[in-house]
Amino acid sequence: MTMRTHFIRLGAAALLLALSATSRAEPYLAAQMGLKCGQCHVNPTGGGMRTLFGNTFAQTQLAAKRIGSDEDLWTGQVMKFLSVGGNARANWDFADVPHQSSTNEFAVEEARAYLDFGVIPNRLSVYIDQRFAPGNATNMEANVRYWVAENTLYIKAGRMYLPFGYRFEDDNAFVRQLSGINMQAPDEGVEIGLEKGPWTAQLAVSNGTAGAPEIDKGKQVVARAEFVQSAWRVGASAAFNDTDAGNRRTAGVFGAYRAGPVVLLGEVDYISDDSIGVGGRKLAATLAEADWKMAQGHNLKLTYEWFEPDRDVDEDEQTRSSLVYEWAPIQFLQLRAGVRVYDGIPQNDLQNRKQVFVQLHGFF
Amino acid sequence: MISGSPNWLVRNKFLVAPLLLVVAGCTAGNGEGLDAGGRPIAGPPLVNSDFQEIQDTIFTPICTTCHVGANAPRGLRLDAANSYAMLVNVASVEVPGTLRVNPGNPDASYIVQKIEGTAAQGVRMPANGPPYLTQDRIDLVRRWIAAGAPMAAQPGNILQVTSSVPAVAETAPAGTMKLTLVFNADVDPARVSDNSLELRDANDDLVPIAGASVPEGRANVVEITLARPLPAGSFQLTVRGDGPAPLASMAGHVLDGDGDGAAGGDRLIPFEVAGGAAR
Repeated sequence: MTMRTHFIRLGAAALLLALSATSRAEPYLAAQMGLKCGQCHVNPTGGGMRTLFGNTFAQTQLAAKRIGSDEDLWTGQVMKFLSVGGNARANWDFADVPHQSSTNEFAVEEARAYLDFGVIPNRLSVYIDQRFAPGNATNMEANVRYWVAENTLYIKAGRMYLPFGYRFEDDNAFVRQLSGINMQAPDEGVEIGLEKGPWTAQLAVSNGTAGAPEIDKGKQVVARAEFVQSAWRVGASAAFNDTDAGNRRTAGVFGAYRAGPVVLLGEVDYISDDSIGVGGRKLAATLAEADWKMAQGHNLKLTYEWFEPDRDVDEDEQTRSSLVYEWAPIQFLQLRAGVRVYDGIPQNDLQNRKQVFVQLHGFF
Repeated sequence: MISGSPNWLVRNKFLVAPLLLVVAGCTAGNGEGLDAGGRPIAGPPLVNSDFQEIQDTIFTPICTTCHVGANAPRGLRLDAANSYAMLVNVASVEVPGTLRVNPGNPDASYIVQKIEGTAAQGVRMPANGPPYLTQDRIDLVRRWIAAGAPMAAQPGNILQVTSSVPAVAETAPAGTMKLTLVFNADVDPARVSDNSLELRDANDDLVPIAGASVPEGRANVVEITLARPLPAGSFQLTVRGDGPAPLASMAGHVLDGDGDGAAGGDRLIPFEVAGGAAR
């Protein structure tokens, strides 16, 4: 048996195995498939490098059609102990702000490469997420992950994205901006995770500095738990960040429900931050999303977000509505086009802007 | 349509209906009584300076969507109480060899590189752009840094309050016993007295002040210690620029309390004290 044939059979086996058991994946895709995030990503909380299953899924389930022969199935594994992956997003963005001239531009939103050294297969991995654009190369994640108890428990240490709520692709979603936990702000610390039956749960302790050097003795504790069923899922997150400037408490609930070709997904986050102003500030954000799988390779995403910047101030709320069409014509390629409409207080032009974007997304 | 969409909606009405109701109830605010940063309007602008304009038109309304609180990205908090101290002569986290604001040198200031999109690391700011800052806002930041990144208006022939704790219209914690004033210039300690400062409650009754002083090493700050913890309610601190004992700078310039650019006028700082146990 050749190495390629071996990989293909391995991939197909992983796909079948995953489809027959509780597994993991990216938010709306995960909910659509009834999987956990970690089914498609080496990171159990989602995002970043894809697993063998994730790569197989991208080639056989996600795309409208697959080109090339079965011999060309990409597994991510380039050597026995090394897997690689990547993402590149090239955008055309149009912005219309009241009382300003509209702008449009081409831009590289991001280009990242992932390396996963499985030095002891299914047990010990060294993982690196490096962003190459925009700007110079920047390390976003660098950690060691060690699985025990038949791959139901793991410990991860190093630089990582913390587990909180859903790891949406859109880091500008209010819930991701508000929590400060997103894929632009890794932190350094330790995470312990449980992946057992329908449960996925994580507990992390980090510096709580959102990527800045530690400046005090306080640490951030983040916990996340989710109960995953094939048609629905529900979870909760909490974080406590102890800083000299003031403590910050964050809590959130999230969940998803699959009804035929539509996935409904939501998250509600609430924050009390003593470090803002004198008496502290209480903030909240919500996200409601509907994803309609029109056909294989075609997804229509509708989101509505609400942001409350200060619970003690009336009439300062903001909303953000998005309609995004995602088309994956072939494996590892996605064309995304969408419009986002912001609505906020009339005296702030930026809170009332409109954005249109077209994005070519290549990944593997 | 969604595989027989009417049927789909009927089948899932118990889920869709509440979702629509929630969405309909979560609308944007009308901004009544707020400034462009979404904060309550109270009193005259503190200081007419480039930095205050940067704070009011860039940092507060745009940057503090993310850069605020204990989880601010890269530890950079850009709310009014923290922005100046976290920017000027402070090394960038992404490129530690470059100062966030290098007074007198806009090109070598990381904040300029970030808002112009020329920084060696990371995304252009604001991160949720485009749109990015307009050229006139970028020019404002450049002009401020080229002028040496002063906190307050130049020339320094007036004394003004640049910030306070609690700030105007802010809510202080229950049990507050200390108030702090920050000025654009060094304050003459000999002019700091019970006569130059006055605190009144919602009934217009005087609240006793135990002492007020200029702390050592912070000559542009006045700290006010109260005789007893403040109860919950509304208060107003008056900093005298008029009357027989106005505050003045070490250079002898009397306080410009009303922000008209000329000496004189009282600075009024209304604030609230929260109820509940002291923290």
